[in-house]
Amino acid sequence: MARWWLLSILLGAWLALGCLLFPSRRADAVSDASPATAPLRIVSAAPNVTEILFALGLDEQIAGVTQGSNYPPAAAQKPTVGTFWQPNIETVIATRPDLVVLLTFPQQQSLADRLGRLGVRCLTLEIWTVDDLFDAIASLGGATGKEQAAQRLVADIKIRIEQLQTRLAGKKRTKVLWVVQREPLRVAGRNTFVNELIELAGGENAIGPTLHKYPPIGGEQVLACGAEVIIEPAMMPGLIESQRTQALAYWQRFANVPAVADGRIHVIDGDIVSRLGPRLYEAVETIAKCLRPELFGE
Amino acid sequence: MTPSVRVQNVSFAYQRKDWILQDLSFTVEPGTFLAVVGPNGAGKSTLINLIAGLLPPSSGTVSLDDRDVRSHRPAERAARIAIVRQEFVPVFGLSVAEAVLMARTAYYGPLGFESDRDRDLATRALESTDTLRFASRPLASLSGGERQRVFIARALAQDTPILLMDEPTSFLDLKHQVAIYDLLKTIGLQEAKTIIAVTHDINLASQYCDEAILLPPRPDSPTTSQEGHPPTQPPPYRVGPPAEVFTAEGIEQAFGVKVFSGVVGAEKFFIPLGKMAKDAAGTNRP
Amino acid sequence: MAHRLLSPGKLLARTAGAALLLLAVMLLCSLLGSESVSMKAVFSGVPEAGGTNPDYEIFVHVRLPRVLLAAIVGAALAASGVTLQALLRNPLADPYILGISSGAGLGAMLAVISGCSWTLWGRSPIAVFAFAGALGTVWLVWAVGRVTGKFHLTGLLLAGVVVNAFFSAVIMFLISIARSQQLHATMFWLMGNMTEEDFFVLWVGGGCVAAGIAALFLLAPKLNAIGFGPEDARSIGVNVERTQLAAFAISAFITAVAVSLSGLIGFVGLVVPHAVRLVFGSDHRQLLPLSSLAGAAFLVVADTVARMVVAPAQLPVGIVTAMIGGPFFLVLLVRYNRKVSWVR
Repeated sequence: MARWWLLSILLGAWLALGCLLFPSRRADAVSDASPATAPLRIVSAAPNVTEILFALGLDEQIAGVTQGSNYPPAAAQKPTVGTFWQPNIETVIATRPDLVVLLTFPQQQSLADRLGRLGVRCLTLEIWTVDDLFDAIASLGGATGKEQAAQRLVADIKIRIEQLQTRLAGKKRTKVLWVVQREPLRVAGRNTFVNELIELAGGENAIGPTLHKYPPIGGEQVLACGAEVIIEPAMMPGLIESQRTQALAYWQRFANVPAVADGRIHVIDGDIVSRLGPRLYEAVETIAKCLRPELFGE
Repeated sequence: MTPSVRVQNVSFAYQRKDWILQDLSFTVEPGTFLAVVGPNGAGKSTLINLIAGLLPPSSGTVSLDDRDVRSHRPAERAARIAIVRQEFVPVFGLSVAEAVLMARTAYYGPLGFESDRDRDLATRALESTDTLRFASRPLASLSGGERQRVFIARALAQDTPILLMDEPTSFLDLKHQVAIYDLLKTIGLQEAKTIIAVTHDINLASQYCDEAILLPPRPDSPTTSQEGHPPTQPPPYRVGPPAEVFTAEGIEQAFGVKVFSGVVGAEKFFIPLGKMAKDAAGTNRP
Repeated sequence: MAHRLLSPGKLLARTAGAALLLLAVMLLCSLLGSESVSMKAVFSGVPEAGGTNPDYEIFVHVRLPRVLLAAIVGAALAASGVTLQALLRNPLADPYILGISSGAGLGAMLAVISGCSWTLWGRSPIAVFAFAGALGTVWLVWAVGRVTGKFHLTGLLLAGVVVNAFFSAVIMFLISIARSQQLHATMFWLMGNMTEEDFFVLWVGGGCVAAGIAALFLLAPKLNAIGFGPEDARSIGVNVERTQLAAFAISAFITAVAVSLSGLIGFVGLVVPHAVRLVFGSDHRQLLPLSSLAGAAFLVVADTVARMVVAPAQLPVGIVTAMIGGPFFLVLLVRYNRKVSWVR
């Protein structure tokens, strides 16, 4: 019995010693307060953030990006610090960043926490919707001393989208089925940013409100939704043609769906529409071309 | 002072329906070598478990030194009673020496190691059962008989005043059977140990044991009785010196086999006579 | 006879040797990684004039915590595996067999889905919920198993299987209604991951695991005895019920600590005890400390491989433990098969 008491006492003493040695740490992720000086070395943890940084003219200051940052082409030449899902903390630290820009995904959040504890300045951006995007551009501009460039960028995107809206005014909305994955069949639901792009492009989601953002659906819903256009984002840019052939073959089983009957199945560049970034207008325009080809002379 | 074992009006049934032992009473004085004999299913192993305090009697008490054996804590019981069993359970290999030394677990020091005394007792136990040469071998690599001797060594190493043994010689050849009985008798005399052994060998039992108990066979039909209570008419058992307990009629009644009994010097012996056994002319005829 | 038996001297020598080996492995592995770190730069410490010393940062704040974490988790899982194999008398037992894995997973999922954001000592709620889930499930399995009467092993195993199945189903259900980012977060956690923790968490976790292993060591002779069956153990004076309860509870506790720190990492708790047993035998007084140290070293190495093999990305540690552990164990089995004696 005595041994057990001894053990418990030792454990208690160890824990008490720990409380003394390590005063409690508050998990301070340094927030996006304005810096005294503009950051010279910036690490971007997401492809769309990289695009924004380039668009703000900060390409010189980018010291590291995550794999998958492929636009603009110069971004692909930048050193990588891991993948979007798993940024490598060692590499990030080794690039001696003044500012690390991340998104609000849990893995990136945990990285932000850890970097914050190490005293690295982090800026976390929430980019889930189009409005979020505009706010994020403004935040990033503020954090890097590029407020004016940010305002110009946002204004530019907004103007072009408004012009597109004018051309689309009064037209009936086209029903779109946005297919993210074919086997098993998954589509983009209404509470995604893709849905916003569709609506900006003059369309409406053929699928009604769902619990999931990207729900798996069955053949029934496909037949019932009455989609007039089917859009599939291509997984890789070089594969657009082959994916189109496969898509056409696949959709034949749903021959009664208007989109299939009319042959309005489009495979588009996945990059542009899978991230909310400065190419927002190009994304919306690409979709609009699928929905209203006559407006664009095709 | 070695404790005496007292069994008082003990009855036992599994799940209160299957009455195996009924109203058993006897006392074992210190230093006695008691043989428990009976047909299969008569409850010999059950009796061993009851005496060891591992099973609760359905009625009656088993006392160790006038104290109910069930009231002892496991460590106290282990200091008084050692058991040798028939089964072999270990999944992971242990050597013979480790297995025998394990009997001293209750006496280990604070960090869980044995003392010199423990090692001495274990070595002596291995020597006396002629298993010292197996000391380094894995237990599973021994033959059934060799393993049985190791288990006896284990019980001896526990150094208790009472030894309970469940068929300790069933797998042994003649030489080792006699050796074990010699050993038990010697220990009983020298160290005043009480030994209670279940055995099938009536002749060896009569030669070596001070007392014997012959259990009756379990009734074939379920006895008509109220559930939870032993039947009112218990079949007879016999306890006493072997000369009194082992009679030709008694054995025939218990085992259902005719025996030929004879006398060599002062010792009685019994030879079973099956239907096909050889007759006086040396032929096998029913 | 003495040469085969374990003595305090032998045990001390072997444990010290294993501990030194572990330290060497930890030191070596903290020098390895996707970035090259110069020890000279590390020793020059943090520059006073502000600015950073990335070598120092990486070594002290990324590598060391991670190596320490791997050692703590590896030791906990191996010790727990040894104990459960002894208690259940089953060579296939691992630390998760009685529902800890699904309980922890369920706890983690609930934390993610509920969107709960409060933290304990700066640790995410996932870890805390996982810990609570693990312990709660073990208690549930124990309670259900006892219904079959006096710690009957089969009843306990069945209860564990049933609870595991049920909770796994609940987890699947939650996965199917989870939003995709929550899903990713939990899957990532469930596959086992090593991230750097701050030193306070490591101190507390390490202390608890060390205390648990020490407690199990005190129970080791009784675990040896239980290997012969509870009847036999009882007859040599071991209080079987109390020993089982204590060993079970301590093993569940250190496993829950390990799981809350690093998610579910398989293979360590199953294979390391067998490997050590093949070489050194089944005496738990030796098996426990040596398995703990071996498990720690094994996981440190596995984590280093996971970090480096596809750098800058990382493999889940569980994949590496399986891929290293499997062949290694087969080799050991072939070489030492004469020592193995599985008896039914």
